[in-house]
Amino acid sequence: MSATPYASDPTIDPALYLPRMARILEVTPLTSREKYFKVELPEPLGHRPGQFVMLSLLGVGEAPISISCGPRTDTILEMVIRNAGSLTQVLHGLKPGQQVGIRGPFGSGFDLEDFYGKQVLCVVGGLGLVPMRSLIQPILAQLDRFAALTIISGCRTPAEELYREEMRAWERLGQETGKVRVIRLVDRTQNLPWDGQVGLVTAPLPSLPIDPDNTVVALCGPPVMYKFVLLELAARGLPHSRIFVDLERRMKCGVGKCGHCQINHVYCCQEGPVFRFDQIAHLPEALQ
Amino acid sequence: MMRAFFIDKDAVAHWIRHLARSHTVYFPQRAGQSGFRFKPVGETTEIQFDRYHPTLSPPGKKLTPAEEPLFRYRKRGDEAPELVPILDRSPRILAGVRPCDLKGIHLMDQVNREGHGDPHYLTRRTHSTLMAHDCLQPCDAACFCDAVGSLGWRENADIFLTSIDDHILIEVQTPAGETLIQGMDFPVCQEVASVKARAEAQRAKPFGRQFHADLARIPTLIANQWHAPVWEKHVEACFSCGSCNLVCPTCYCFDVHDDFDLTDINAGQRTRTWDGCMLPRFAEVAGGHNFRSNPAARQRHRVKRKFEYLTERFAEGSFCTGCGRCGRQCTTGIDIFDIVNDLIDHAEANS
Ligand SMILES: Cc1cc2nc3c(=O)[nH]c(=O)nc-3n(C[C@H](O)[C@H](O)[C@H](O)COP(=O)(O)OP(=O)(O)OC[C@H]3O[C@@H](n4cnc5c(N)ncnc54)[C@H](O)[C@@H]3O)c2cc1C
Ligand code: SF4
Ligand code: SF4
Ligand code: FES
Repeated sequence: MSATPYASDPTIDPALYLPRMARILEVTPLTSREKYFKVELPEPLGHRPGQFVMLSLLGVGEAPISISCGPRTDTILEMVIRNAGSLTQVLHGLKPGQQVGIRGPFGSGFDLEDFYGKQVLCVVGGLGLVPMRSLIQPILAQLDRFAALTIISGCRTPAEELYREEMRAWERLGQETGKVRVIRLVDRTQNLPWDGQVGLVTAPLPSLPIDPDNTVVALCGPPVMYKFVLLELAARGLPHSRIFVDLERRMKCGVGKCGHCQINHVYCCQEGPVFRFDQIAHLPEALQ
Repeated sequence: MMRAFFIDKDAVAHWIRHLARSHTVYFPQRAGQSGFRFKPVGETTEIQFDRYHPTLSPPGKKLTPAEEPLFRYRKRGDEAPELVPILDRSPRILAGVRPCDLKGIHLMDQVNREGHGDPHYLTRRTHSTLMAHDCLQPCDAACFCDAVGSLGWRENADIFLTSIDDHILIEVQTPAGETLIQGMDFPVCQEVASVKARAEAQRAKPFGRQFHADLARIPTLIANQWHAPVWEKHVEACFSCGSCNLVCPTCYCFDVHDDFDLTDINAGQRTRTWDGCMLPRFAEVAGGHNFRSNPAARQRHRVKRKFEYLTERFAEGSFCTGCGRCGRQCTTGIDIFDIVNDLIDHAEANS
């Protein structure tokens, strides 16, 4: 009946909230709380490092989950999921062959261009390693385009360490190439066997052999971690413009509509979750 | 050039009831002692233009129901499930919309069109026609539409009505408005300018409550006051009930959940429901960290959304339409108008 003000608007996608179905290929426990999921999508995801998807089960719900693998041309998507609540608990009971819903990829992500030719320093705490792997993988795949890669990864106890075998493989690559260094830490060993260091992720920073003029940092971890790491990085003379932070917020839509992820005037699901720190350092809610 | 008509109120009322035969027409109608509510018009509905008190829920909420299905699903074993988006294409007319609420719909248009357009809102919006009605007197003591630039807002109305004594000026502003007038034998108004001048002469001046500073200065004045004691002062009596979010024409946050059919475990729907940033757990993430655990931080977020964050994001003067609903509904009388004026005073005192 009426003239339609938006009928020809190309941005209307009736399927915006519809998931595409992916088939689970592999489920592997990484710790007592986290499981690794490899799923197969109907078509390639075409994501950038640091982006996320909305993962769902019909009849149960939907949640934001980081993409844990680097960009790839096939239809595989890798994720690590912590059993943290209603949806993730059901996910933990799934088996290969079963289906999950995927929307995305969403968010800004990292731009590899920002890291080319630089000494790359990744500082991760806990689950932060999960999205950071999507940046680490493409760096390792074309190592000659980077000056060096240092990974500082911390978790509470040895039992909580993620991607155990893979991190040791990265360490071996470091011994071969001399370009990769992996520093693994736990807050405490709890009398478990441990071949890394003991301390907080900030501990190695003061003595790290880095050139502050040619280093780019990527940070991902729990909210409390950022403040302390940023202080140490400032002490080492790193400008905010060469620090990238991957932030977490509650997210219900992933597409800038539900309002949950707002950090002051910024929508974390749109402009983030990866931010260049100088662009949000002035926002009072960025790190608290 | 769009047309205008000047006819008596009874004829306009008759016309609106006539439209209700072929469309769902929402018009503010008495509900209870003093309240009004946008309800569907029927054959005998009284169409009253002047005795108006802002409705509890703004008319724009007809475009985003409190509970709204996004899609239905049916699982089919190992095969991909059937997923059907639910888009509401039923034609509707929102009539008797006041300028503040018209502006509210304009603002929600901006929000829902940005980036990934929201298909559910935009589909309803596409099939909605807006018939707005000017205000010559403030509705009550809570109104402050003039202070935020909503008074006189008319750009997104398909038809704009102005009551003058026992007549109404009908201005048709869009082709969609023109289709509503088709078949009606209204005499064309030849002296629109003088009729409008008569209306303008009747308009209250000043109109409703006014801020202590010009609107253009308010975003900056507020931006610089993260730690102002004003936030704590106004949140003292707040229950974090979220009523202020519920009734606001420019609150649009939502939550999403799934339901399955009680009769068929394989079928169900994903639904979104209104949520509110004043509710305690709105910004909580897994692990229990809450980015706005303190009620004053939530109040600050609500006020800054209306006067700073969203205005900056969408290049609008104000995301508060001055409808006064949040102040009217708050059981403890917390009024965003007072908060803003206190912030202005505080900023001036400290500059
Ligand atoms: C960008 C981003 C990437 C993430 N990546 C991962 C990941 O790779 N692996 C992983 O295990 N988790 C990740 N999370 C966290 C994950 O989304 C939450 O653990 C998940 O929402 C919990 O869902 P649930 O239904 O199982 O829990 P619920 O039963 O909903 O709630 C459990 C807890 O989670 C909080 N919560 C509820 N909804 C959300 C939400 N939408 N976002 C955040 N917290 C919420 C609740 O307040 C409660 O404290 C990510 C979150 C974000 C924002
Ligand atoms: S309506 Fe009043 S009491 Fe309820 S959350 Fe809003 S300001 Fe607080
Ligand atoms: S903040 Fe209050 S006065 Fe402003 S638009 Fe919302 S409900 Fe109306
Ligand atoms: S997750 Fe909904 S707006 Fe960002």
